Amino acid sequence: MDMLIAKDLAVSAALGGRTVPVIQELNFSLPQGKILGLVGESGAGKSMIGRTIAQLLPSGFSVSGGELMFDGQDLVRMPVETRRELLGRDIAFVPQEPLSGLNPVLTIGQQIDEHLARLNVGSRRERRERALAMLNAVHLPHGAELLGKYPHQLSGGMCQRVLIAMAFASKPKLLVADEPTTALDVTIQARIVQLIAEMQQNEGTSVIFITHDLRLAAQICDQIMVLYAGRPVEYGPARDIFARPSHPYTRCLQLANPSMSGARRGLYALPERMPGLSALSGINGCLFAPRCPNVAEACTQRKPSLVETSADHVAACIRTETTAQIAAPALAEVGAPDAGTPLLKVEGLTKTFRSDTGFFRHSLFTAVQGVSFTLHQNEFIGIVGESGSGKSTVARMLCGLERPSTGSLVIDGVDVTDGSKAAQAHQRAHVQMVFQDPQSALNPRRKVASIVTQAMEAVGEGTWAERVARAETLLSEIGLPPDAATRFPTQLSGGQKQRVNIARALCVAPNILVADEIVSGLDVSVQAQLLNLLLRLRRERHFSMLLISHDLSVVRYLCDRVLVMYRGEVVESGPTAEVFAAPQHPYTRTLLAAVPPDDPSAVWTPQPTEGEKAARTAMEANA
Amino acid sequence: MLATIVPLIGRRLAISIFILLIVSMLLFLVLHVLPVDPAAMSMPPTATLAEIEAKRVEMGLDKPLPQQYLIWLSQVVHGDFGTSIHFRRGVLGLVRDTLPATIELAVLAMIIASVLGIIGGLVLFHVRGTHKEPVMDFGSILLLSIPEFLWSLFFILIFGVALQALPFTGRLDPDMRMPTGTGFLLFDALASGRLDIFWSALEHMILPCFALGIAFSPTIMRVLRSSLIDVYQEDYIHLARLRGLSERRILVRHALKNAILPTLSLMGVQFGFLFGGTLLVEVIFSYPGLGNLMVDAVRNADLPIIQAVGLAYCLVVLIINTVVDSLYLVLNPKLRLR
Repeated sequence: MDMLIAKDLAVSAALGGRTVPVIQELNFSLPQGKILGLVGESGAGKSMIGRTIAQLLPSGFSVSGGELMFDGQDLVRMPVETRRELLGRDIAFVPQEPLSGLNPVLTIGQQIDEHLARLNVGSRRERRERALAMLNAVHLPHGAELLGKYPHQLSGGMCQRVLIAMAFASKPKLLVADEPTTALDVTIQARIVQLIAEMQQNEGTSVIFITHDLRLAAQICDQIMVLYAGRPVEYGPARDIFARPSHPYTRCLQLANPSMSGARRGLYALPERMPGLSALSGINGCLFAPRCPNVAEACTQRKPSLVETSADHVAACIRTETTAQIAAPALAEVGAPDAGTPLLKVEGLTKTFRSDTGFFRHSLFTAVQGVSFTLHQNEFIGIVGESGSGKSTVARMLCGLERPSTGSLVIDGVDVTDGSKAAQAHQRAHVQMVFQDPQSALNPRRKVASIVTQAMEAVGEGTWAERVARAETLLSEIGLPPDAATRFPTQLSGGQKQRVNIARALCVAPNILVADEIVSGLDVSVQAQLLNLLLRLRRERHFSMLLISHDLSVVRYLCDRVLVMYRGEVVESGPTAEVFAAPQHPYTRTLLAAVPPDDPSAVWTPQPTEGEKAARTAMEANA
Repeated sequence: MLATIVPLIGRRLAISIFILLIVSMLLFLVLHVLPVDPAAMSMPPTATLAEIEAKRVEMGLDKPLPQQYLIWLSQVVHGDFGTSIHFRRGVLGLVRDTLPATIELAVLAMIIASVLGIIGGLVLFHVRGTHKEPVMDFGSILLLSIPEFLWSLFFILIFGVALQALPFTGRLDPDMRMPTGTGFLLFDALASGRLDIFWSALEHMILPCFALGIAFSPTIMRVLRSSLIDVYQEDYIHLARLRGLSERRILVRHALKNAILPTLSLMGVQFGFLFGGTLLVEVIFSYPGLGNLMVDAVRNADLPIIQAVGLAYCLVVLIINTVVDSLYLVLNPKLRLR
């Protein structure tokens, strides 16, 4: 029996007096107990489908045609009250941001209790017992204690477990999980995905799994639908789609993701961006045609319809036979790291933070413990580990934002450990940092030209005209048009902002770039563009980089060597290929096991991590 | 929870003493720059210059200013605020008689401002995006632009003079006697079982309290409205909807609890202003509180009273701020120690 059926579903938005289609020709049927993955980049309409199921669309958006049948009832046309009765009972949701999904001023217990009260679970006592059983089912220990905690006292993974427990409390028939792991650490991601799959199997729930990660979808879903600009472009059995993508977009997405096994290959970087809502109506033929590597004359004539390419597998392309020919470009040649004296020499770096716990009491917390490594000219080193492992503290010390407690830091032959004025000037001239979130790293009140040349302003160098000229040079180097110099950050896309962020760091032509999670939160095609940009810059400028990332495939693609950090210490280090192929430390093995394998038919067995155990121990200590 | 509030109050107390010292210094300095001679004023008009000079020495006015300040300060610390030049009574007694009246007025006005502010904020939030929004918006800005003394005059004209519905001078009907006790009239009347006095006192407070309350409610309305709009953007509100909670429950249990936090810190600041605003309102309604005492003292250049009342205003505002901050700690779990 099919639990959810979409028939010619269309959603449109009123935009500046015009009605523009947001989602069109959406057809799928999700059988009971199966998982359907909705895959695509941001703006593809994945989340909009989730919101359409709940009929909680943003203002101005409405269903303009078709039907959405849930368990035999039309969700679109049923009265509001009837639908509200279904929500939280028969249809449950797991959100993208677990920390903001829980109300900060109510305890976990109060929030679970409210939900159970709505589900008509008898007395307060019964509800409490039920809540404890629920927390147990999602493998959260110390339930009684947890019920009295507020969301900010829990980690993101724990919050997501609480939300999953609440979602499954009513034994729903349908679960909508909207990027439930995107905001979490890689090891926690794996556990959360497994938990959803486990609960889904126990309860026989049908699941809509929204994700941008094709590899992850192929691993856990039964069916996959790939969306592009609000239209399904490919739909079929998950493994079939991953093994034989028929639509060029699916193929490009696959090739834009760095691989985790086999030889390293280049990344296919889709040019430009997905057309926005207002641009859609200007395209006559296939919406993907402007970015498609296999585009032909006929593609721009009329919109392609879904055609069957193999059993139950459809794609909206008139040239599906050419899709398999799309190949990843050759790996860019960047040359080996320079031998000789290292550019950066870090020895026994330790950082201890002091936090005041009372009037005369304080506690010490060691964030980084005895880290030593060297970085040569033209070498990229990756640091991997979960949040709290001390990665970012190392980065901040290298840039002079934190003073090391002990240890030494030698940059280009000069010891900068003491943090004196001269040392800081030397450090700033040689090391520049690219911050994680371009949204908050770029001052919204400054124009791009002023942002990228901040380093000149700091030393009082150059006139405004000279600064604009330098900005334009830098912008062209990172692949932005010169007129971007006069724009404000809000006028740029996420990927463009991150380019500006990189350009700012390059302004003083540093020898070392420290990049903290610079591609997390970006779409795969944008990520591929940025990673290729970094390799090109390395070839042109011959600089070194320390890349901090939780994404092991990015590190595998970019970095010559890797340091694995765990609880402030480097537990394993070596050439990336060697460490990833034959990890020695159990923690490295845990990290690697958490990544979904390239081959969807391989068995994926992420283990519970040390980090999770640590989080639980930390919570006990707090209690 | 107590473990976090006690240190806060301790810290606040230390800061408050420091602030009071600075305010007392400023008061002392400013008042001594005024071209008045307290010694001459405290003597009968027939006194000779020599007699005034003797009085000046007796009052310590011939000593250097810092020394005069230290003498005054040490007296104040011992509870001696001096004697009123005009009333020929101990200043402490005068303040003790009038402060409760003003506190009563301010607290009731603050309650009215909060209730009106919260209701208004909810209404403004409710009509957002509808055709009623511009009208309501205009109304709230109109409210914002009318100061409390103008409200006082409107109310006296409408409810006092035209309708003759409510009294508008003093604290009580002229034929009633103040019950003895704390000085908080509403409390004292109830404690002595005199409902008629309670009722009369309440009647006398309605107009001044509403004048103050209405004048201070629009800022609360507007802040509550905008923080509600912010809170409704949050994921947990969206998720509460997806869990099928009713809109009413989402508003009361999820949104309001969060939106009240910024509103509360604003209310703390507002209360300080409102307490200062009682001065004009008391004068207009001939309400025998701290404000009227202050105005009389200024008119008579009664320096000891001005100093004492100034310090009393400062102290009340400091106490209120500490209370609001403690309340904030109670309502916002993120600020509590983990």
